[in-house]
Amino acid sequence: MNIAVCVKQTADTESRPVLGNDQSHVTDKGLVWIINPHDESAIEIAIKLRDQHGGTVTLIALGPDRVESSLRQGLAMGADQAIHLHCEIMPEDSFIVSDVLATSIQTDDYDLVLTGEVAIDGAGGQVPQRLGVLLDWPCITGVEELSVESGELTARHPIEQGDEIHNCKFPAVIGVNRRIGEPRYPSFKGIMKAKRKPIEKKAVSPASPQLQTDSLELSTPRSEGKILIYKEGVAAEVVTLLRDTSKVI
Amino acid sequence: MFKILVIAETAGEDLTTSTLEVCEAAAVLSSSLGESWGMLVPDHATEAAGKVAPDVMSLGVGEDRYPGAGQVASMIAQVVESTDIVIMAATSTGKDVMGRLAQHLSVPLAQDCTGFEVVSGEIKFKRALYGGKVVVRVKLSGRPMMASFRPRSFTPIASSGGFVKAVTCTVNRVTPKTSVHLQAKAVSERPDVTEASIVVSGGRGLRGPENWHILEDLLDALGPDAALACSRPVSDDNWRPHSEHVGQTGRAIAPDLYIAVGISGATQHVAGIARSKCILAINKDPDAPIFKVADYGIVGDLFEVVPALAAAIRDTS
Ligand SMILES: Cc1cc2nc3c(=O)[nH]c(=O)nc-3n(C[C@H](O)[C@H](O)[C@H](O)COP(=O)(O)OP(=O)(O)OC[C@H]3O[C@@H](n4cnc5c(N)ncnc54)[C@H](O)[C@@H]3O)c2cc1C
Ligand SMILES: Nc1ncnc2c1ncn2[C@@H]1O[C@H](COP(=O)(O)O)[C@@H](O)[C@H]1O
Repeated sequence: MNIAVCVKQTADTESRPVLGNDQSHVTDKGLVWIINPHDESAIEIAIKLRDQHGGTVTLIALGPDRVESSLRQGLAMGADQAIHLHCEIMPEDSFIVSDVLATSIQTDDYDLVLTGEVAIDGAGGQVPQRLGVLLDWPCITGVEELSVESGELTARHPIEQGDEIHNCKFPAVIGVNRRIGEPRYPSFKGIMKAKRKPIEKKAVSPASPQLQTDSLELSTPRSEGKILIYKEGVAAEVVTLLRDTSKVI
Repeated sequence: MFKILVIAETAGEDLTTSTLEVCEAAAVLSSSLGESWGMLVPDHATEAAGKVAPDVMSLGVGEDRYPGAGQVASMIAQVVESTDIVIMAATSTGKDVMGRLAQHLSVPLAQDCTGFEVVSGEIKFKRALYGGKVVVRVKLSGRPMMASFRPRSFTPIASSGGFVKAVTCTVNRVTPKTSVHLQAKAVSERPDVTEASIVVSGGRGLRGPENWHILEDLLDALGPDAALACSRPVSDDNWRPHSEHVGQTGRAIAPDLYIAVGISGATQHVAGIARSKCILAINKDPDAPIFKVADYGIVGDLFEVVPALAAAIRDTS
């Protein structure tokens, strides 16, 4: 089974974004780069499926030079090879991104394409659905459980009303949630091996975004509130604050 | 065909609360742009739609009330041609349908918006980036403009009482690419966490699922609009169902009041709750990071504090 995993390099959750002078973009300053957490779990599932069913795991990342470190990390986890779709700046319109990814996917022969359900920085939340339509393949997103048996795929997608259980044939696009499984840490051996694994670099020029940034601002952090040490009467005091000051109960 | 279209989600023969919120957004857009708005509903909810929307287009889905997002998006793609704006609630299904529909129509999509502004006829959609640390306003080129809105970003629209006539539209059914069925969860008296105005949330500090009764009791004291949530380790260990897990990898919520009980307040957790209007944290550790984002905090043993809080609410109500 040949599996492609789309990997976005994102800013770590702990990073504090800084805006550029013109307030039109977030600078790279002070950001720590990680594999999007959902994608990291997608790599984990891909490796497990390959180990069970044979085949190869190919990572695909679109972005500037820096994304190579994430590809190396995925290779160190156990992926076989990687494609770096190189461009100058990370495109943040998932419409444009999907187009570039689909073009790359179509030039190779995959049975399964895995993505994360959403990137934690840009929060596009639409690449898997778009890839499904572009490739004209079945697509299931928000997947938290995935199994493959006799050429058929079963996936569980929790929604507000319960669990959707999907069945389909290959090829398919699956957008996974982190909860599908915690990723492994690369082993020392894995890291050494990854240095020799191939990363194919291809230059691409994504179209300009159609989801245009008009303005950006940092959210004002929540200011620290009134903290009370518990003793007799504190519960009643807090209830009064909730009811009369904040008017939320 | 009207210019602003709400795609409805239904619960039986009714519209979901988050759909009623999106209707409110449509009504505001409609009056600031001077354009008409209407709703697209599956035919079994036509009557409910007619009570809130000035125009209704009813889509025959036949007996199959659960066709799945892929089918739904392909069907809707056939009828939205002449609309300018298409909006829907950013629920799991809403996001799934909108992502596919946007690609069928080959247009950009602002997913999971928290609001919008209209400035001299131009719409700017507001979205949260970097787990809520950055707010962006975006403009959409391409027609129709497509956006989904997070639950609780607007107050639900009030019923106008009267029933309007609906237009029925027929579309070609496409062969579904996956077979899907829903394992519905047990019907609860309580609202979904994303829709509740008060959310009481438990973390690892509760020590085990057998202690959840103290949160249930607090919930009962708070009334029927309150719902339960939990931190991720709690649902990972199956103390509570996955659907209650909030945070970066769980659901993002924005209640009026969020009560965090025995939750440390990791950034991944806070990413899902930062839009709450008011946060009350209960934790025995005065240095727990949750106190940094809380409006009110009580430092103490939750097994004492929570029952006392429930009692104080009952005393004064
Ligand atoms: C990629 C990634 C994604 C993640 N996504 C999420 C997410 O979506 N949501 C999420 O919640 N987490 C998420 N996490 C996990 C997160 O980092 C924290 O580990 C988690 O939120 C901690 O849960 P907790 O607060 O319940 O437990 P703990 O951190 O163990 O905190 C328990 C708290 O209870 C307090 N306590 C203990 N006993 C008592 C008592 N008797 N009375 C009062 N207080 C008491 C303690 O002081 C402590 O502060 C994610 C982690 C990663 C790496
Ligand atoms: N630049 C990128 N390179 C590779 N994969 C991406 C990129 N952007 C998004 N993806 C994939 O699409 C998923 C959803 O992204 P989004 O729809 O932008 O939130 C991510 O979890 C990735 O798997």
